[in-house]
Amino acid sequence: MSTASAAANAYASLARLTDPAGLAKSVGEGTGGPSFGDMVKQAVGALNATAHASDAQSQAMAAGKANIVDVVTAVAETEVAVDALVAVRDKVIAAYEEIMKMPI
Amino acid sequence: MDFLKSIAIAASGLRAQAGRMRIIAQNIANADSTAPTNGAEPYRRKIASFRSEIDRTLGAQLVALGRIKTDPSDFRVKHEPGHPSADVNGNVKYPNVNALVEMMDLREAQRSYEANINVIGASRRMIQRTIEILKS
Repeated sequence: MSTASAAANAYASLARLTDPAGLAKSVGEGTGGPSFGDMVKQAVGALNATAHASDAQSQAMAAGKANIVDVVTAVAETEVAVDALVAVRDKVIAAYEEIMKMPI
Repeated sequence: MDFLKSIAIAASGLRAQAGRMRIIAQNIANADSTAPTNGAEPYRRKIASFRSEIDRTLGAQLVALGRIKTDPSDFRVKHEPGHPSADVNGNVKYPNVNALVEMMDLREAQRSYEANINVIGASRRMIQRTIEILKS
């Protein structure tokens, strides 16, 4: 199932972000590890793949070709991936704003 | 992720039960289908069976509709000499479908479908609750 692996990739990327040991390591290494931008790009790419899959299923159902069960599972997977990514984005933006508010 | 896997497994259950429902609908709809020619066999009741199927990409055992078997029990015989498909003695063979049995099967399929839907709902709620930790 490609949507499941896409979602799994997104989760792995998110897990890497939220893993404090991994974060500390990448901060410590400086430019050595993958950057945050890369991580976001990868996560959004994986999310895009999931969304495309659920789109394709919805279209197939509208055309009378797909099973409603497949549509429901694909949409549920997309929903989960979007929710997780949005939550991470909110956290990151909140952290950024916190830093910007810091008096220098 | 495990939750998405359980959703996919429950979805396979939904699909299987939908297939079983199709067989039951066929049986009920054909409960009075007589033979096209005189003295021939009428519609024979069909029975759905399930088998577990290993999905390699998912690494789990899904359920799938197995071979559809026919019920070997005797047909209902009625004496109707004027019927178009009556044999030389005036007997007509009706399908071996019992509406009560079909209704029981239907209920079972319905309950099984609901159980799978509950699994999907519970998995989704667990995912949502986990993501909520990230939000707060």
